[in-house]
Amino acid sequence: MRPALFSFLKGLPRGAWDRTTLWDRLLVLVIVLLVGGAVTTIPALIFGGPPALDFAGANLPFFRFLAAATGILVLTIPTAFVIIYLELKVIARMNLRVGPNRVGPWGAAMSVIHGLKVLTKEDFAPTGADVGVFTMAPVITFLASVMTLLVIPFAPGIFGQDLNLGLLYFFAMGGLTVLGLLLAGWSSFNKYSILGGLRSAAQIISYEIPLTLSVVGIILLTGTMSLNHIVGAQSGSALDWFAFKQPLALVIFFIAATAEANRTPFDMTEADSEIVAGFATEYSGMRFGFFFFAEYVNVFIVSALAATLFFGGWTAPFNWPWAMNLNAFNPYSLGFFGWAGVILVGGFLGAQLMAVLIRLVGGRDWNWWGAMTLGSLVVAVLAIGALGLAAFIAFDWVRGLTWFMAKTYFFVFVFIWMRATLPRVRVDQLMGFAWKWLLPAALLNLFVTATVIVLVNR
Amino acid sequence: MPERPASARRRPAAPTAQTADSTASSAAAPDSAQYASLDDVSSAQYASLDDPRVMLDRDIGADLFEPIPPFPTTTERESEFYSLRDGEMFLNLGPHHPATHGVLRLVMKLSGEQIVDVDPVLGYLHRGVEKICENSDYYHVIDQVDPLEYLSSLFQEWAAVLPFEKLMDVQVPRRAEYIRVLTGELLRISSHTLFQGFLALDLGGLAPILYSFIERDEIVEMLASLTGARMLFNYYRIGGVNGDLNHEFMSRLGDWMSRALKQTEANATLLNGNEIFARRTRGVGVLDRDTALRYGVTGGNLRASGVPFDVRRAHPYSIYPELEFNIPTREEGDSLARYLIRLDEIRESIRIIDQCLHNMPDGPIMAKLPRLLRPRPGRAWAAVESPRGMLGTYAISDGSDQPFRFRIHDPSLLNLEVASTLLPGNLLADTMAIVSSLDPVMGGIDK
Repeated sequence: MRPALFSFLKGLPRGAWDRTTLWDRLLVLVIVLLVGGAVTTIPALIFGGPPALDFAGANLPFFRFLAAATGILVLTIPTAFVIIYLELKVIARMNLRVGPNRVGPWGAAMSVIHGLKVLTKEDFAPTGADVGVFTMAPVITFLASVMTLLVIPFAPGIFGQDLNLGLLYFFAMGGLTVLGLLLAGWSSFNKYSILGGLRSAAQIISYEIPLTLSVVGIILLTGTMSLNHIVGAQSGSALDWFAFKQPLALVIFFIAATAEANRTPFDMTEADSEIVAGFATEYSGMRFGFFFFAEYVNVFIVSALAATLFFGGWTAPFNWPWAMNLNAFNPYSLGFFGWAGVILVGGFLGAQLMAVLIRLVGGRDWNWWGAMTLGSLVVAVLAIGALGLAAFIAFDWVRGLTWFMAKTYFFVFVFIWMRATLPRVRVDQLMGFAWKWLLPAALLNLFVTATVIVLVNR
Repeated sequence: MPERPASARRRPAAPTAQTADSTASSAAAPDSAQYASLDDVSSAQYASLDDPRVMLDRDIGADLFEPIPPFPTTTERESEFYSLRDGEMFLNLGPHHPATHGVLRLVMKLSGEQIVDVDPVLGYLHRGVEKICENSDYYHVIDQVDPLEYLSSLFQEWAAVLPFEKLMDVQVPRRAEYIRVLTGELLRISSHTLFQGFLALDLGGLAPILYSFIERDEIVEMLASLTGARMLFNYYRIGGVNGDLNHEFMSRLGDWMSRALKQTEANATLLNGNEIFARRTRGVGVLDRDTALRYGVTGGNLRASGVPFDVRRAHPYSIYPELEFNIPTREEGDSLARYLIRLDEIRESIRIIDQCLHNMPDGPIMAKLPRLLRPRPGRAWAAVESPRGMLGTYAISDGSDQPFRFRIHDPSLLNLEVASTLLPGNLLADTMAIVSSLDPVMGGIDK
């Protein structure tokens, strides 16, 4: 039957719409959207653009916040995918396995496939579950952990917000994740879930205290809670890092952060051999996916905070020898077409040269097309490497981002390493360790730091 | 138990107006009308609480979990459920749970995370193997008992073969006895190695199980080249073994023996020096000597409690009297001791294999026996030391070609019995450290 919407198409033969395939109908939809979008957006941009820009300029902080929040939400997807893939692969190597190696090169698309799988699964809520709370719980956990990224400085000038209470904001938002876990455990209508939820509440609340106390020493040293200023206080060389001024705090922070991120050996909340999957026992589909997005993003966040607080954040570990500006080489002197010509001609000549080299070295194993293809690939890789190196030298945000990511992913690796190595501690040992050892150690660290500051300032 | 008005004790019988109406109409209608309304949920005929469709529409919290029993409870467990105190709950751990080694079900009464009471429920894997054995002839008993305890199936065969040999008065050739000891000790190492891995896995360590499986795979491949199967070997025969040692087996064995001890020590370092592992197992589930003896615990679990009982020495069979090996014991009786005992036993087994290889005699591998076995009427008991303890078999012959009665005494069953005395007072997380260290295999327990 022809839908009423298309009744104006009297010229079409009767039943034409019914004979269209799904793809045809999708194509019609796309065309309608494109045409409609163009018809509406172009005038809107022409007439409404300048006033909108004026408005955005007048309310810059708000729009900056909006852009930062969006950017952070988008950033979490590749971050979680990379960490999931790393975890699969690194644990596999440590367990004498191969790990994923079928989807994409070296199995690199495995986590994307995992994401698609989770998306296409049935979104199932068990009988007796409080469906509203059951649905909200993963969202709360996910948002609470993602929003902590807002205050982390990734590179000079690249951060969500430079709050002067940044560290406090971080711990406040990070502490909210427990709310989601507790609600998930309660609303699932499952005994394993409620045990997992209660464990997570007990654990995270206990470990919040040493975690927060361990960084008070740094706050005393820098006199600020803004993470940007804390990074600034460590600029210079690796000797200025707080890892060397506050070694005890680093140890406490790292242990407490492991518990805070629910990672092995403190993964009480989802201890699979004890309480099946803890709070996530009844979850499936994308609701489950949100929990695990949150977990892996949490690993990244905790690593990023460790790098920021104790290892200088985005600052280089030594005084960078080429801290020069490349004014002698002005990239704008060539112009667009000049650069395009250089890239095309240079790429072609480089590929030819590489192909000749491959033919010389590889001999008859290579025909010309194979040699040319490989040569182009090698030249492309070299060119990208050279451009990256140039950007690394020229732009301090590229340099900062590189150092920041290197430090952060080192800690991510350490978390994965621990997961592959250590058994799980028992729940009472976990709590005893927090209250009997970590808390006094954090207080001792605070006391010694304060004493030294007073003595030095005298 | 608090008193409630009598009306509250009875479950309401769907007293909604709609169902009342349909009750009246269906009572008036002929039978065919009732069949026509099969899918009508609100029909009075189906408005019972046993109908899952009706339950979904109801207020579940108020109806399903009424704290007052609405009728006299029929089972002990049901009445226990209604007598739970504040903060207590029942938890069904299993039969489908990642850490219960098969289909063990533990009905636990928890107070918070602390275990108050445990009730193991067995029988989810019962296959009636003993009865099947009575209906198959003597040769076929061997492959019936094979899959019972699938991690050490050669010992099942060994235990099945021994009483028949006693009934037949067979003299097993010495070479066959050496081969039995050799392959049996190999499988003991494989089983104990897996035990380490699974204990670690149950405590949350991911790595050791994979290292264990590498060792097991080498041993199992070795035995596959000898017997043709990786798991259910069907290798021992009444009066000998099926097939002599071949070149591939010997080369694999020599290759493995050259680094077996080193590899065992290396795998042990995955757990032995680990503080978390030691704290999870030391002093957990302490089984004292008297309790162990009273419950009939055997094997490594008994030796970890300080009793040097080993069937290979206490009731010697095969060529064990000629071999030199120690019976390692420990005094602690906790999970850690049970773990360490298995490590020691692996070392002793490697010693035994070494001696077998040095002293292996030439000669036949099977005794001369008729095609159809008809043992003399009588009864025989035999026991072997399996990786889990004393594995005994009891056979009664009536002179026919089938055993009149055949019973298997499985050590895992008695070893698991003590779990219900060890678990109460511990935390839920210790269930894994305790049950896993007792090393039960449900296939053998349920038979």
